Amino acid sequence: MDFSLVLLALFSTIGLIFTYLAVIEKDLVKAVIFSAIQSTSYVAVLYLLRAPDIVLVYLPVTVGLYPAALLFLVGKTERVEEE
Amino acid sequence: MRKYFVLVSIVLATVVIAYITTYLRALGPIGLDTRYLAKLFLMLTYNPVYRELTAMSPEAVTSIVWDFRGVDTLYETVVFYMAIIAALTIYRGVSYSSIWGGYGLSLIVRVVTKLLIPINIAIAVSIAAHGHLTPGGGFQAGAVLAVVSVLLAVTYSASSFIKLGVSLSKAVALRSAGLLAIALVVFTPIVFSALTGVQTYIMQNYVKIDSSFSFPTHVWNQLISGTLIWLNLAEFLAVSFGFFIIFMLLSLREEVVREQIGEKDEH
Repeated sequence: MDFSLVLLALFSTIGLIFTYLAVIEKDLVKAVIFSAIQSTSYVAVLYLLRAPDIVLVYLPVTVGLYPAALLFLVGKTERVEEE
Repeated sequence: MRKYFVLVSIVLATVVIAYITTYLRALGPIGLDTRYLAKLFLMLTYNPVYRELTAMSPEAVTSIVWDFRGVDTLYETVVFYMAIIAALTIYRGVSYSSIWGGYGLSLIVRVVTKLLIPINIAIAVSIAAHGHLTPGGGFQAGAVLAVVSVLLAVTYSASSFIKLGVSLSKAVALRSAGLLAIALVVFTPIVFSALTGVQTYIMQNYVKIDSSFSFPTHVWNQLISGTLIWLNLAEFLAVSFGFFIIFMLLSLREEVVREQIGEKDEH
């Protein structure tokens, strides 16, 4: 079996776990951080799928800009989501 | 019980999607075969033999984005431009220069950020300038440079933009200069046609069957791929300063914005 497929499965699973954690987390700052970790694992997935152009735009947007925009937004509202 | 239900549905979804995409071949045959369209693009991106079909750039993605489907990308850039005009409209009347104060994060974080910012700028410029040779391009480089604005706003506070001499109007001017440069490259063939009477096409990069017009593909024996390097650099300006505007506005404190716009807090 191709080793890159094993890595692909590993990073996809990490992405899936952190997506789940980001969805169920009530503390929005933590949820944003989980989402950024999910994005980091997807960067590896996209690189393994041989899409370096997408990696270069996905990395700054989803790990840098998007969490920053969400954190600014959380700063303007409330940090903890209530039932 | 709820967690158990989530776990089971994740496993089920994974199995079903894996089955559909592999055994049922929902995405077409998966394998090492290169599809016909991909072969065509790979053959034509840099091919001086087929002069009237090639984009003269070894980077297939940039060739597709700025040459084969260039008008699409042009309109994407315009959409991005309009989105930031919307953001500027929401924050209209807010004077950025009157904002002072804010201390930023600790000394350690500030020093590390100070070291990271020049590296970030260098990477952004290299991604833009090599966009026609290696993976990357204008949008990618713009997004990388935009991270600098986030770093500044978070580690040095919003007032650091003023200290560095980056004002909203300057950012708007630079972004507009980027879009104007794109327009200049797009309309140059038409102007050339009007002046000389040679048949040309809008956004033309290299020679076509019935048109001998071409942007210079080499400068001092370096491949610059005609319009691609200019479009990448112009897009770099437009995108990076577009994001700069967004993060400069977002990093303003809510109370300051409300005070300046003159809106009463109803909550």
